[in-house]
Amino acid sequence: MIRTEEMLLNVGPQHPSTHGVFRIVLKIDGETIVEANPVIGYLHRGTEKLAENLQYTQIIPYTDRMDYLAAMTNNYVICHAVETMMNIEIPERADYLRVLVMELGRVASHLVWFGTYLLDIGAMSPFLYAFREREAIIGFLNEISGARLTFNYMRIGGVKWDAPEGWIEKVRDFVPYMREQLAGYHDLVTGNEIFLNRVKGIGFYSKEEALDYSLSGANLRCTGIAWDLRKDEPYSLYDRFTFDVPAFDSGDAWARYQCRMAEIEESLKIIEQAVEQFPETGEVIAKVPKIIKPPKGEAFVRIESPRGEIGCYIASEGKKEPYRLKFRRPSFYNLQILPKLLVGENISNLITILGGIDIVLGEVDG
Amino acid sequence: MVNDLLTSPAGWIHAAIFFGLGACLLMIVLGFVTYAILAERKVLGFMQLRPGPNRVGGRFGLLQTVADVLKLLIKEDTIPKAADKPLFILAPVLAFAPAFMVLAAIPFSNHLKFSDLSIGLLYYIAISGITTVGILMAGWASNNKYSLLGGMRSAAQMISYEIPLVISVVGVIMFSGSLNLTEIVEGQKTVAYMFLSPLGFIVFLISSIAELNRTPFDLPEAESELVAGYHVEYSGFRWAFFMLTEYVYLFAMAALTTVLFLGGWNPVPFLGCIPGIVWFALKFSLIVFFMIWVRGTMPRLRADQLMEFAWKVLLPVALLNIFVSAVVKELFLR
Amino acid sequence: MKGLAKGLKYTLSNLTKQNVTTQYPDVPLQMPDRFRGIQKFYPEKCIVCNQCANICPTDCIQLTGKPHPDPGKKGKIIDTYDINFEICILCDLCTEVCPTEAIVMTNNFELAEYSRDELFKDLVWLDENDNNVRKENKA
Repeated sequence: MIRTEEMLLNVGPQHPSTHGVFRIVLKIDGETIVEANPVIGYLHRGTEKLAENLQYTQIIPYTDRMDYLAAMTNNYVICHAVETMMNIEIPERADYLRVLVMELGRVASHLVWFGTYLLDIGAMSPFLYAFREREAIIGFLNEISGARLTFNYMRIGGVKWDAPEGWIEKVRDFVPYMREQLAGYHDLVTGNEIFLNRVKGIGFYSKEEALDYSLSGANLRCTGIAWDLRKDEPYSLYDRFTFDVPAFDSGDAWARYQCRMAEIEESLKIIEQAVEQFPETGEVIAKVPKIIKPPKGEAFVRIESPRGEIGCYIASEGKKEPYRLKFRRPSFYNLQILPKLLVGENISNLITILGGIDIVLGEVDG
Repeated sequence: MVNDLLTSPAGWIHAAIFFGLGACLLMIVLGFVTYAILAERKVLGFMQLRPGPNRVGGRFGLLQTVADVLKLLIKEDTIPKAADKPLFILAPVLAFAPAFMVLAAIPFSNHLKFSDLSIGLLYYIAISGITTVGILMAGWASNNKYSLLGGMRSAAQMISYEIPLVISVVGVIMFSGSLNLTEIVEGQKTVAYMFLSPLGFIVFLISSIAELNRTPFDLPEAESELVAGYHVEYSGFRWAFFMLTEYVYLFAMAALTTVLFLGGWNPVPFLGCIPGIVWFALKFSLIVFFMIWVRGTMPRLRADQLMEFAWKVLLPVALLNIFVSAVVKELFLR
Repeated sequence: MKGLAKGLKYTLSNLTKQNVTTQYPDVPLQMPDRFRGIQKFYPEKCIVCNQCANICPTDCIQLTGKPHPDPGKKGKIIDTYDINFEICILCDLCTEVCPTEAIVMTNNFELAEYSRDELFKDLVWLDENDNNVRKENKA
């Protein structure tokens, strides 16, 4: 009789494929996972607590550091929450600029995901190709906001700067270029049989499970629920654009991959339309009081970040600082299904599943 | 000259000459490894729209690998406290020594060879199997869970892929009627065996990539899953030995493929004026380039898919190849 | 097999394409004009209004003023001005609130030092840091 033993395997927090400082303690039987215990909090900086002592404008740079791959959406959610409380009307031009930078950020974020996911699966070239395009987007955002990742671009009531000269044209020219490169990615990766074998049927969950675990973003749309706040609860100017919400039925890593790749194309459509409709002139920031004091009360807004629904709850006492600030951070919620998905899987699938969820540790840990 | 030496009676002088020649080959192989690593990084770099190493040794980074090796040499030699010390030290040697031993059997041109074994092919395959033991030993002795998993995967993979590898060359052996590598090359004077048994060639090429633990079959050292696999606890020169093993095997395997399927030093028709060794080098470089190219393109397979692929696809195809080869031999080579 | 062949073709076609990387330390990186780098400080413009120190989200600015040496003039002039770059996040809020544009952003971003103490920049250092100032803020 052979005696077998389960082995405890500690993955992370400095493992190359946990995308930051995520740790999972695995109980494995051979190469099969019996139990998985995620340990988070290595990157906890207490953004919500810090915010309680900060003025609203001062909170904006902190939100840059939560989901650092798509900081524009974070900027937007806090501004949007305060604007909702104070009933501030945003100038049209500012709104267009916000949509443009958010969608560019979404493309950049999905590109990082695409590259790192393929790197996790073992192909190193797609990473560098994806970063070439991302670098172009980062360049645009750098030009308009003055930083490559921590933009701090939006202000309550509008945006900090108008687009520099020629910026809109550059973005317009970028869209066809990006479409061309995207076709190249499909050639390189999407048809690759090895890749398909790695992702098809891996990390499956059903519609009900996805809803029970409060998943959002591509993690929800991969089960066939076409839920996208840009479409279903339009904020900003999203009701002015025609775009589809890609949804796929199979609920596995392959569907999530297809979903994100399709979302890049949809974002490009939005960028194209926004550039077309972009108003010639106009203010980029509304008239707001110098010291921002939202009225007593509370507000919750939610928008669609590349990773899912990002929400912002503000409880105000009518002071300069919020009484309580809370972010619904999509990565954190999406991660909760991981232990369930991992049981019974091979260790190689751990990376495929974790990568497919697309977490950003800055957001998970807050 | 070498042919005379090989057939002459043994003696101290001959032993000394062979030792000298062996040392020369060692240097050539080390030189190859140095520049194969550089070439790999350069080609990958160009494919990925970046220049690759370009700081040490001029614009082309010609001394990059030398600098890397130098750094590994002066690095602290660490042995984990919980490791099985004798095995830990023995493992790189055991993995590395066979890599050089197999080179002895490979003829590089009509005149440049170091042995004339009548069972050259069998010798190569038998000796290269020992490396698996070294790798498994490294994985076990490190007393690290990642390296254990890597070692296990590696053993399973290398043993599984040796079977289609061997069976795929049966066609070649049938055509040439010999296990002697020189005679196999001689048999390809008119047409290279890759055209006579294309199936065998493809199976051999795939299995050889798997044997070399290269992408897409690099599971034993899958850095995104197992960090570095079996050599995760190794550092400094012991680690360099594993790397060296890998690239010497790349050299050996590419040479073997050239000999078995691409016609060795036989020239392409009408270009016989170019010496055989150049042809050998060209064909050899083509194989090496292909392996780098594949590495730049493919993702990695999963362990169970890897096994399935070996047993359910490659092995039947290799068996089919024997049958097809027999038919081809019967119909065209009578 | 078709997918694999397509992928191989794609990588091969990229083999001869122009590199997209930059030779960064050899060739300096040109940042756009709005880039938020290390601050430049103009002591003569400062009116010691303390707004920058107040708006700073990380409290990394410390300043003290002294009475104007010319007794005929009212107000204060700057005495010490320190930015602690260990915690500065280069968010640009200090330059945004400054009423006299006494503190402005430059395009310099290389802050690596061997010691933490050197990240503590004082008035003299910030005054001398006067290359690559944003065009709109050029004195």
